[in-house]
Amino acid sequence: MSLLEGLRFTKGDSPLHRMDPRVKFLMTMIIFTLSILFLDLIPLMIVFTLQIPIVIYGRIWREWLKTLKGGAVLAVIIFSTNLLSFYFFRGMTLSGDTIEYSLSLTLRFLSLITSFSLFFLTTSPDKLSLALEKAKVPYEFNFAFITAIRFVPVLADEAQTIMDAQRSRGLELDRGGFLSRIRKYIPILLPLIINSIRRSLELAEAMESRAFGATKDRTNLYELKMARSDYVALIIIIAALIIALYARLYLSPFPKVISGILFA
Amino acid sequence: MGMIDVEGLWYTYPNVPEPALKDINLQINSGEFILLTGPSGCGKTTFCRCLNGLIPHFYNGEIKGDITVDGLHTRDHPTYELAKHVGLIFQNPDNQIFSLTVEKDIAFGLENLGLPKGRMVEEIDWAMDRVGIASLRERGTHELSGGQKQRLTIASVLAMHPGIIVMDEPTAYLDPMGAERIFNILHTLNEEQGITIILIEHRMDLAVKYCNRIIVFDKGQVVSDGSPRDIFTADETRLIGVGIPRMVELGRRLRQNGVKIDIPLDSTEAFNNLAPYFKGSRPAKTRNDLPDLNGVAGEYSHSPIIQLRNLAYTYYTGVNALRGVTLDINRGEYVAVMGENGAGKTTMVKHFNGLLRPKEGKVIVDGEDIAKQSVATMARKVGLVFQNSDDQLFAEDVEEEISFALRNFGYSEEVTRERVNWALNLLDIERYKKSSPFILSGGERKRVALASVLAWNPDVLILDEPTVGQDYGQKERLKHFLLQLRTQGKTVVIVTHDVEFVAESQPRIVLMAQGKIVADGPAKKIMTDAKDLETCSVAPPEVTKLFSKLNKFGFPGDVLGVDEALDLITRKLKGATA
Repeated sequence: MSLLEGLRFTKGDSPLHRMDPRVKFLMTMIIFTLSILFLDLIPLMIVFTLQIPIVIYGRIWREWLKTLKGGAVLAVIIFSTNLLSFYFFRGMTLSGDTIEYSLSLTLRFLSLITSFSLFFLTTSPDKLSLALEKAKVPYEFNFAFITAIRFVPVLADEAQTIMDAQRSRGLELDRGGFLSRIRKYIPILLPLIINSIRRSLELAEAMESRAFGATKDRTNLYELKMARSDYVALIIIIAALIIALYARLYLSPFPKVISGILFA
Repeated sequence: MGMIDVEGLWYTYPNVPEPALKDINLQINSGEFILLTGPSGCGKTTFCRCLNGLIPHFYNGEIKGDITVDGLHTRDHPTYELAKHVGLIFQNPDNQIFSLTVEKDIAFGLENLGLPKGRMVEEIDWAMDRVGIASLRERGTHELSGGQKQRLTIASVLAMHPGIIVMDEPTAYLDPMGAERIFNILHTLNEEQGITIILIEHRMDLAVKYCNRIIVFDKGQVVSDGSPRDIFTADETRLIGVGIPRMVELGRRLRQNGVKIDIPLDSTEAFNNLAPYFKGSRPAKTRNDLPDLNGVAGEYSHSPIIQLRNLAYTYYTGVNALRGVTLDINRGEYVAVMGENGAGKTTMVKHFNGLLRPKEGKVIVDGEDIAKQSVATMARKVGLVFQNSDDQLFAEDVEEEISFALRNFGYSEEVTRERVNWALNLLDIERYKKSSPFILSGGERKRVALASVLAWNPDVLILDEPTVGQDYGQKERLKHFLLQLRTQGKTVVIVTHDVEFVAESQPRIVLMAQGKIVADGPAKKIMTDAKDLETCSVAPPEVTKLFSKLNKFGFPGDVLGVDEALDLITRKLKGATA
């Protein structure tokens, strides 16, 4: 699941971590759009390569490489299925163009996961929720979002403990046929569900005890403020979008790399 | 601020015939430090829910009578308003921490009240300072230790400036020194801020010296209410089954033996009361007259059943839980594994039945390396009972629950039935045979969980924190039960923080800290080694604390139990007068 690792926030301090989440989200969305906008190898290579300095700027290259590694299998699948389907449905021939097209699609995929990594690796859930709050998402939704993230490790621990307890009583999860295996999860799921119901009741009690719902004008410890660097980033992002749109509209079709440049 | 007035309070939970509270009349004054106690299910927790209006606003049911908190009638004021007056803290810190960072969690209540940011930061700073977690400000809440989490929950309610703080068994999951730290914080808040403290607690020995009033609940009623000395010397308290602090017990029994001393509450008081009697006594010159410290605790054979060789384990998170543990546990031995939270105790015992596989080193059970054995095979020899019985109970009725493991192990129907009946009998739960385990009380559920493991009669029984959340009577029953198992030749290993429980049954003690064994030996030896104990965040039992001081009058320093203490003191006094 190292592909999903790339979506998990790791604490850190870099200009990218400090960037206003709204600006950062816009950046991610624009990179996303650019990756979808182009289908040729050259612009996709540019989009992909341009993200590398941002990754370094955010000091997340280690996590990013992990994500790429996690995505490698999927990338290979995308490349080969495309190539094979071209081969079988377009007259059993392989041309430079079909290889290039498959490469483009693969690169597009890598570009997309990089753009999401950029956002999620460097944005704490608290900041994300703050951005949602500014976007007028109701607080209840926001609270549920944060609570869900907060309780993922707690629930994972609990599931592990329950599994350990039942295995200590001789439960063997990896034996038997398909149906009997499913049945074997009952002793794990039942305590998990019952504990969760009990937990949610306790959570609700604790929320009430901390004055939840006391006022409609709830305040927030954290505030979002656009810094000068955020405005600079905003301008760069928008400029990049404009250049890209111009390129897409007036500079296409782009030359092919394999048939047009390498073997011209 | 900080006043509570309860008049003729009755409360019945929805769909329950019996009232949980019956005619409670109480007056609590500003600045009191109150200990609420009583057997499990006596209504303590229900009473606390009434104090900030969770009852009747959150829980339906039938309420009669009046409660006013700082002049506010709880019926007319919603919980969010009362929360500014009463800070209620629950037992499990995990279920009341909502946020991802420490400061944000303390802010939760303040945000709800709509405080401006500047004020919020001030209050957060102030609250963090009071409980000593200022350095954790930006730490993720999931990275905190148990003690830190509990301190965070205090800071979180403290930031809202309540006049009253109510805590429901805050130290159940903490090591002895961690527990002491929490009590000290509450004590300081009480002294310096004048905050009224109401504390539910079973660990009397630790808590008694901080409180100035004790209220005892039983079957939904207040049965006694007064100063600690009055409450603990009253016979009614004893009859209900409230644990009596060891020093009070010692003082009482000394008086019965004709020694006219004032009843002490803790070891310091006991020493001060006893010292005048022994003024002329000299320290023992040699320790030859003392019992042999290296003697083994109890009888057992010297053939090891569990052997750990240089065991190391690292969790996938990178935490080095065990760092080179070598240990032999002999057949028929009774071992207590103690030490600070996070020392690796549970990680270690999970290796005994193969739940965890050593990253380095070896685990040998009954002469065989367990590396190639499945958990199911190992579990037949080594029964492991987990801390929280809710993590394992799932069946429709108790009988079914107990037969679960037997079926997994492939016993025939007939043998299964026989073993189930045997286990039901052993733990005295036959009458619940056909009841759902979920309707039973906490103590009963714990017994069902124990029965479900004992049913297949494993040679080794491991109990993780068996005394957590158990009242005095339940602990006594458990103590006797473990003794009974020992006479049957079972090897028993308990993982525990409960120093007093250990002091009374005197097992071999394995002390752990930071993934290593710090000390290992008979209880008498380990419990008198102040330095090792401190390394492992364990405080010695009260009796031992007393005798380490009495040592200079010629008493042995290694006394753990009340009986032995009583015997030594009485004999010395008789000798002195003779």
